[in-house]
Formats: sequence, structure tokens, C-alpha cells
Amino acid sequence: MSTHPANLSADLLPRLCGADIELGNFIAGVVRAGGTGYEASRALLAEIDGLPIRHDSYVNNWWSSAAASGYQYGKQSGYGASSGAYAYDYQDVGRRFLLSNGGCAYIDLDHVELCLPEVINAFDHVAAWHGMLRIMRAALHRANQSRSPNSRIQVLVNNSDGQGNSYGSHLNFMITRRAFDNIFLRKSHYLSFLASFQISNILLTGQGKVGAENGRPSTPYQISQRADFFEIIQGPQTTFKRPIVNARDETLCGRGVADDPSAPARLHVIFFDSALAHGSALFRVGPMQLILTLLELGHVNSRLILDDPLDALQSYSHDPTLQTRAALINGELLTLVELQSAYLEEVKRYAAQGVFTGIVPDYEEIIALWEGVVNNFAKQDLMAAARSGIDWVLKLMAIERSMDQHAGLDWDSPEIKVIDHLYSSLDDDGLYWAYESGGLTRQLVTPEHIAYFTDNPPADTRAWTRAMLLRRAAHGSVFSVDWDTITFKMRGRYNWPTYRTFNMANPLGYTQADAQEIFDSSLDFTELLDALEADSCGATLTADALTTRQQQGEEHHALSTTAT
Amino acid sequence: MRFLQRLHDEQVNSSSGDGDPGTDGLLLQLRSEGDSLLAAGDEAIRRALAGSNSEDFLRTSRQQGGQ
Repeated sequence: MSTHPANLSADLLPRLCGADIELGNFIAGVVRAGGTGYEASRALLAEIDGLPIRHDSYVNNWWSSAAASGYQYGKQSGYGASSGAYAYDYQDVGRRFLLSNGGCAYIDLDHVELCLPEVINAFDHVAAWHGMLRIMRAALHRANQSRSPNSRIQVLVNNSDGQGNSYGSHLNFMITRRAFDNIFLRKSHYLSFLASFQISNILLTGQGKVGAENGRPSTPYQISQRADFFEIIQGPQTTFKRPIVNARDETLCGRGVADDPSAPARLHVIFFDSALAHGSALFRVGPMQLILTLLELGHVNSRLILDDPLDALQSYSHDPTLQTRAALINGELLTLVELQSAYLEEVKRYAAQGVFTGIVPDYEEIIALWEGVVNNFAKQDLMAAARSGIDWVLKLMAIERSMDQHAGLDWDSPEIKVIDHLYSSLDDDGLYWAYESGGLTRQLVTPEHIAYFTDNPPADTRAWTRAMLLRRAAHGSVFSVDWDTITFKMRGRYNWPTYRTFNMANPLGYTQADAQEIFDSSLDFTELLDALEADSCGATLTADALTTRQQQGEEHHALSTTAT
Repeated sequence: MRFLQRLHDEQVNSSSGDGDPGTDGLLLQLRSEGDSLLAAGDEAIRRALAGSNSEDFLRTSRQQGGQ
């Protein structure tokens, strides 16, 4: 459990992780040309409090600065959406940051999208995700209070409507610029190693789905919700011809770092399914943190590379009996379990050398859990896998039980597809919640840990200061917010408004340990900003600054876990 | 086709090839454990199957493609 940053260098960074996750939302029972996602998403977002507040629409703010701030789709010079200026972008409507935990919510192509605050620890990710689901569930209940029983809003935590439309559940990992360039610009085997790992990881992260989409061969049930929608190995796009490894390059670490080789990059991972069970939620993040560390260190074992990743993904996903074999580039044929097991063994080999120390918190616990579930699959003990919290197995068992109990139902029955959808329903009819409360699945984080991240930001990243500044700002003074900046509207000379932008380029800066004392001692808001800016932590994003932050990392994590 | 049954059959074939009685026990155990644990979802499934027209539900659940 204990970690020490002995092997930190500018070539190796702590595995900071964020997430931006779209939900399925519609009005059950209401048929409308073009669907009901537009109305449902806006009614839901209106029930989520956040800043900035605007009064120019019924969702308070449906403007964003995505276009105005120079955001260019998939371009390195592009920049992430913020939430204050004036341009309309269907992929970034009404963004508001949460005072509670420092995350945010907005509407992307008529899907409510939930963005988690930055965390370092994979277990914190699970807690923050379920905390965000609690916030969304409360919003859903409020939105439905005023609606008739015939027009209730339904929210599904899934990634496909079964009718050929997919929506994402993205993760974001901080990696070195060198590692990013190696993956996308310099070393094709790095890209293939990562793609092959992600494919093998559907064993643990798939949510399961009835049927096939996007022109793929029909299948009764498959492991991954997203597999049918990946058509190429890599690329910057996310809404069409989706790539297994996404090359979108937005640092979200300050606008001055694009040409700084020591500044980190953000790896935008669009591959995985949304997870409800804690096991699948943890295995989306923990193993990726470990594999990305191997990539940063150059420990890339080319033996594990799939010969045809796209074919392998389809074949593996379409076979829940786990018997299908796919070829590696050396001609070896491996099952999904064998390939995932091979990656696990690779990680264990390097863990024994201490390479994850100080980089991936709780790596020993992550590896132990990972190994336990892979062994369950190797023994074909699906009940044990279900109890470990693997979504696709839980859903498969639920559906086959339904078919056993209800004569006449088969894989083509619409009722079976409804059960597929309702597994992930956020409302009280959600099948996952029934299994969770019935004690079927192992909970990897406590209810108290989830409650903490429902109401509080992570203590060990800049999300802490973001949330605290939003709480302290005067009513109406928050003009715009982005991951690395907040612009306040201040009262200037003769009461003329002035605008002051506070920069938080370093995602590992402005932690509770850095800033609590300043928040406790400052008299007014201007002094608070002055004091934060004067503090040496986090303002400049350099390798040295990151190293300094990480040397305090264990202490910060202890704070957050103590608070739970 | 039941995938759990097929998994069991695969296991029978790969374990001893001579109808190891232990594997039948494993499937029975799986079903027995599953029965008690999965029962937590039975009420939710019963409501889902009884509550509305499934084809209507699926029609209205159509989404705009996202990221």
C-alpha cells in the first residue's frame, strides 16, 4: 500500500485520471420525430446546480465558449470547452461546474454528460463516479416530480441504444508528452500494445449487450457495448469511424504548454463501456494506469500485440463463452482470458521491480483484485466473476434467468432487449441497483467514500481549489470556468466590472494541503486570489513542479481517505 | 442457446473428456448460487416485463449518436 516516489522523473508522471461520460436519456412512452433526447437532457440538466449561472435559457446556460475559445476538433492547437463565453456548440451545451465535488455536467448532442473531478487513485475514481451517479439520480427524481406518469424521463448508464447509435464513456489520463508522441507519432508498436491491451480488457470492463449494431454480424449477446462501433486503430475523431485509441490532443493544463516538451499530455480514452458494478468501474482505470506507466517507461512487450486488433475485438466481444482465439503478430492464438492474463503477468513482473511505486496509488491492491477476477474467468467460474462486479456477466445471468423463468422469451424478444437497457437504468427500476442492494456484487468502495465524493472534491488535485473557489465566489461573479482556469467578474474602480482569470495549469497543484491554510486565513476574495497566485504551488506546470506535487501525493491521498 | 450451459459444456469437454461428475455439480452449484443471489432482481424484471409494451419502450429509447 505504501508508496514512495523513488523513481519519479520528468519521464514519468503520476496517473491522474478524469472522465467524461454520456448518458442515454429519453422520455419513456413518448414517440417524437428525432427522439426525445433534446427535451429529456435539458430537463435533467436544469436540475443540476453549478456555476456559472446564466439566465438566457431554461437550462440557465446553453452557451459555451467551445468555438469562441479556439477549440478545433481534434487539433493539437485546440482547447477544451469552457463555460462562459458566447457561441453555440451542440457538443457543449449549458456546462456548469459543481460546487460540491469540482466536476461538471453539460449536454453533448442531447446526452447529459457527467465529468468527474480529477483523481489520482483508481478507488477514488470509483467513488467519484458513483457519487456523480447519486447527483444525477437526485436530479432525475426532481425532474420527474412534475411530470405525468406517461412522460417520465428515463436515464440509462449505457453506451448504445441498440438501434445503431452509440455514446461514449471516456477516460482521461495524464501522461508525458514523450509517451503521447511515442504512441501516436513515433513508435507504432506502442500504439498496438495499447490497443491490444484495451481490447483484452473488455473481459473486465464490458457492460454486455443483446445483439449487434453498425453492420456487424448478428449475435445473441456480446461482451462490449462499444465494440461494434470501432472501425479504425487510431484517430482524433469520436463520433464517426471511431478509433480504438483516440488521438485527440488537448492538454487541459494551461494554454501555454503546447510547445513545452516537459508539460504533460492528456490521453483521451474513448474505448471503454460505462460501468455500474464496482469491479468493472475499477478495472477501467487501475489496469490502464499500470499499462500507461509501462508505456512511459518503454516496457513494451511486442509479443502481446494482436495481429488484427479490429477483427479480434469483434470476435472476442461476440463470444461470451470466451472460447474464441485471436492471432498475435507472432502467430500465437490466444483467447480473451489468455491475452488479458498475459498483460496482467507483464504488469506483475514490473511491479516486482517497484516501477509503479509513487506513480499508481494502491497498485498492489489493484493487481490483486485484477488477478482474482482473471483467475475466476480462467476457471470459468462466472458466478465468482459476477460477485466480483463484472457487469457483462451480471447482465448475462439476469437475462438467461429471465428466459428460464418466462416461457416464450428468447434472444430476439423485445422484452430481453428491455432488460438489457434496464440493467443500467438510473431510476428505481434499475436492475443493477437491485443486485447491489441485494448484496450480489462486491463493493470496492464504501457508501461513505461515495458520499464523500458526492459532496466534496478530491483533496489531492486542483479539483479541490476549483470547488472551494466556486463556493467562496460572490453571487454572480463566476464568469467562466474550465478545467484549468476560472474567470471572475470583479468590481473595479468606480464599480466598473473587471475580469480576473485564475490559472490552475498544474492538475496536481492547488490541493487541499497546498491551499487550505490560504482559504482559512484570507479576509476577502481578492486577497484570496492574490494569496493563491503568490503561492509557489501549481501556477507553473513544469516537470519540477509536478515532481514536487507528487512527493506530497501520499500525504494528500491519506487526507482524502481519512475524510471518508 | 444458453451461454451458461455452453460454458459448462466447454468445461466438461476440456476438463476430463469422460464426463467428470464434478462438473455437473459445478453447474448445479452455479445455478443454485445464482438462484438465490439473482432473485434480488426478479421483482425489477417482473415489473419491466409487465409494465409497458416492450416494443414501444424500445422505439422511444432511440438516441442521437454521441461521442
